[in-house]
Amino acid sequence: MSEPSRGSQISRRSWLLAGLATPLFRARAADSLAVNFDGDNLHISSPDLHFLTGKPLSRLKDGGTVVYFGRLTLFRDPFLTPFRRTDTRFVVSYDIWGEDKFSVTMPEATPRTALLPAPAAEAWCIENLAINASGLPPDRPFWLLLDLRTVPRKDLSQVLGDSGINIKNFFIEFFSRQPGTDDPQWTRPAGPLRLADLVRTPGRGKIG
Amino acid sequence: MRYAWLGCLLLCRSLVAAPQDADVNVNTRYTVESVILSGKGWTTNLRSETTDKISLGLRHELVALIGQKLNPAGLDSLAANLKKELSAREVTHRVVRGESPEEVRVEFEIKPAKVSADLNLDQFVYDSKQGWSGSGAAGLTVGQHSFSLGLVSDGDWLDERYAGFRARYEDKRLLSDRLSFRFQVESYHDQWNTSTIAALVAHPELTSEAYRARQNFQPSITITLAKPLTLEVGARVERFENEDTAAGTVASDALITTLRYHRRLEDSDSQQDLDADCSLHAATRALGSDFVYSMRTAGIRYQFRHGKHVVTDNAWTGMILGRAPLSDRFVMGNTYYLRGWNKYEIDPLGGNRAVHNSVEYRYGPLQVFYDAGAIWDAGQQATPRQSLGFGLRESAFSLAVAFPVRSGHVEPIFMMGILP
Repeated sequence: MSEPSRGSQISRRSWLLAGLATPLFRARAADSLAVNFDGDNLHISSPDLHFLTGKPLSRLKDGGTVVYFGRLTLFRDPFLTPFRRTDTRFVVSYDIWGEDKFSVTMPEATPRTALLPAPAAEAWCIENLAINASGLPPDRPFWLLLDLRTVPRKDLSQVLGDSGINIKNFFIEFFSRQPGTDDPQWTRPAGPLRLADLVRTPGRGKIG
Repeated sequence: MRYAWLGCLLLCRSLVAAPQDADVNVNTRYTVESVILSGKGWTTNLRSETTDKISLGLRHELVALIGQKLNPAGLDSLAANLKKELSAREVTHRVVRGESPEEVRVEFEIKPAKVSADLNLDQFVYDSKQGWSGSGAAGLTVGQHSFSLGLVSDGDWLDERYAGFRARYEDKRLLSDRLSFRFQVESYHDQWNTSTIAALVAHPELTSEAYRARQNFQPSITITLAKPLTLEVGARVERFENEDTAAGTVASDALITTLRYHRRLEDSDSQQDLDADCSLHAATRALGSDFVYSMRTAGIRYQFRHGKHVVTDNAWTGMILGRAPLSDRFVMGNTYYLRGWNKYEIDPLGGNRAVHNSVEYRYGPLQVFYDAGAIWDAGQQATPRQSLGFGLRESAFSLAVAFPVRSGHVEPIFMMGILP
């Protein structure tokens, strides 16, 4: 019988798999996520994550609309078995007549919009990605993985103006496919973390 | 029941709240000042200019953007339509600041296909008197160079049924945008109607003998004198193989020039097109030709479109001085001129004088037309003829019945097919 790893109930096999899986995430250690806990939800931030760049930025500066899909996944083992996940979309456009500002909208039932410079717009999107931490023991380690992708132009009509079951199905199908060469992807891992070790921030309500 | 209402309210709220692109793109608050199309070596500002590179419908859709609030989602479908119509490799669009504050300019950039291949059915028509005629070609375009190879079997256009192939090379930009070069090769075998053979026996002095095959080589250069006026200059080297193989071949070598003019005028709900051309073919012994003749033709076509209404008038005249081969003589009583008449009845050898006018009215797919014309030979009395017809026409597809206007027994001619 294998001996449990020190300080947790995770097997050595899991740690080994985690070690092998970590290089798959293209992020370096310095690019990992900062995580806060508000008592209900886990919030992330990543000041070095810049996704208003490259081809999406060109599309935006040409007056187009770019939709980013963000997926935050919570693991109770090192990135092996998802425990919970949350999907969010951000619709971004660049103000042609504005002072280098981007409009960012979260098209929920009550849409939230902000008009911000690029770094602030990126931070706004990341800050609005949060995941419910209920059911997570305070002293047990967990891992988080952020996956952020742009939606291909051909799929824009499907993801704009739809907030029901179709968009949920689209999220599932979208994250199961390989991103195209014109559709960049950003991933950031975090962990192992423990709720008990996290800095508590003021609560913002429960997130699913 | 209370929960059902609550469910309905939530559903309605989510539907109302679901944002469209118009709601989420910040630039939708700006007004479109102009729409610009640009391709390799050309740019058109649709606010002040027009272009015949795209269809009327698509042009209207693009012009309709001007003065409206920007709809970024609509630009994608317009770019897709442009790509399809122009067979382009890629059409991209961008929105930039306009000249006035709060106004934007929409720019479409058309990248032509480096290599494209296509199959075209140029003509496919059934005439109840002459039977089937058709021509089609496979084309390959590499940059400014295009090649095509086509098959033809035509019993409609001339007094002969000719079948064979047609090959063409074209350089659309020879040294400059104002010059293009074309070289066409045709090779056909011919079959003759008994009426034509009988007329040849009766009037051998009018034209060539019946031939069993002919080949044509035609290089030409088109010069854009001043848009929209072009001049085509070239040569036509034609060989006729006699029915009697021992008699060998005869040549018809001519210099050809054609002046063409096209003008389009349009406003918000109507469009007028004016096309005019005149040409001169001159065959002389100096070029090694066995036939010595000159052929002059002139035509003018005017079309007015307003909504579903289309009125077209097409006037044309031609004159041949000298003795031209059968394939160069004018023919009427086909699916273009004096529709409804039988060409073998009115001109089994064609004629060296011709005048024709056609008036056509279309409402949607419904069409009625009236043709009037005469074909004769120099020194003969011209006999004016008229015909009436009606039918359906949608794009290039036509279905029509035409009646010759004359006393006595009238036998209508039924025509159907794809016409250029």
